[in-house]
Amino acid sequence: MRSFFKMPPQVFRLFLLAVGIVVTYLTARYFLTPPSFGQYGWYRGEALAEASARERVYAGRKACDECHSDEYKKLAEHGHKTLSCEGCHGAAQAHADNPDVKLEKPQFSVCVRCHEANPSRPKWHKQIVVKNHYTVSKCTECHVPHMPEEAP
Amino acid sequence: MKSNVSRRSMIGRVGAALAGLLAAPAARTVRAAVSKGLVSPGAAQGYDPLQHKWVMAIDVNRCIGCGFCVEACKTENRVPSGPYYRTWVERYIITRPDPGAGTARGETLVDSPDGGMRGFGEPAAPERIQHSFFVPKLCNLCKHSPCVQACPVGATFDAPDGAVLIDPKYCIGCGFCIQACPYGCRFLSPATHTAEKCSLCYHRITRGLKPACVEVCPTQARVFGDLQNSAAEDPIRQFYQNNRVQALKPHLGTDPRLFYAGIDKEVR
Repeated sequence: MRSFFKMPPQVFRLFLLAVGIVVTYLTARYFLTPPSFGQYGWYRGEALAEASARERVYAGRKACDECHSDEYKKLAEHGHKTLSCEGCHGAAQAHADNPDVKLEKPQFSVCVRCHEANPSRPKWHKQIVVKNHYTVSKCTECHVPHMPEEAP
Repeated sequence: MKSNVSRRSMIGRVGAALAGLLAAPAARTVRAAVSKGLVSPGAAQGYDPLQHKWVMAIDVNRCIGCGFCVEACKTENRVPSGPYYRTWVERYIITRPDPGAGTARGETLVDSPDGGMRGFGEPAAPERIQHSFFVPKLCNLCKHSPCVQACPVGATFDAPDGAVLIDPKYCIGCGFCIQACPYGCRFLSPATHTAEKCSLCYHRITRGLKPACVEVCPTQARVFGDLQNSAAEDPIRQFYQNNRVQALKPHLGTDPRLFYAGIDKEVR
């Protein structure tokens, strides 16, 4: 064989070493490259499925509509129609999965967070200076959050 | 002809050939087993990333700075507590120029207390304000993402559906992407020591839900949609139709797909 290639033995050994390195590399790559690598591009395609596997915390307003359609309808027909249920009531996936898990009642701070006057807020947005507006009791005494135009 | 192949080397060669023959199917079995184990059980079913092109848009004129989006993002994505945000809201205040300064505007002040997560209080000197507004920030969904180019291990990538995602199993936490992002949209999670960023709520959009920030936004300042599957009356198409839009830092050539309407020249 050596006579066939007519190469000095030290070169042949180097050649063998090079072949060995390439074979080791190819074998390692075969086993270490995840099967989905290159499915969509130069990354692991399975990473997309894994990113989508995370559990959600916010249920989305459609889930609320399934049981609370009367309240949902009220909201959708009045001034607060762009609001999401979970904006004020908090994340509700746990409640949607198991209705026994109760949501906390929204507090005064929820109203004020949007409607307290602030010079950075756009002018079209309804704002009040709370201490000049009414401080005696809760907002809901005069306002209906689901139907902000109506009096209770 | 005298062969120079010894008995010893012959046995070796035959053994190697046999091992090779036996190893090929075994390798295939191992690979199949590995790939089976890698399939995530909770993944969205029937979702094809090649059939969507997700995009977000922000109308700054509509943002009231309530910070519900920041709060929702933190909760939905279990973002570590502390100064770590996948989305946040900045308050821009442009002050009146000093009398006799001969300029149209004063200085630009930007703040974002707790990322805007608890809303914004009264600004420091309201009488100095010429004008002020809120700017929600998040991943700019660049077409030419510097973060993807900087990643040395291929852990961050442009998904075919428009999201720029991180593969936490590949991320080595070197932080190059955090330096590379010109919009400051990434952070190193203190919990996992891997980079984290807005994923457009990938676990929600693959199931037909909106991202958490868009879901809770009370004024529809955040608009989200699928450019590949949307009718003309879809909010995202309406947004492009009704607004003159701008991207952040267009001079960097990142070509963001996140567009803003009603933005000021001071916004970076």
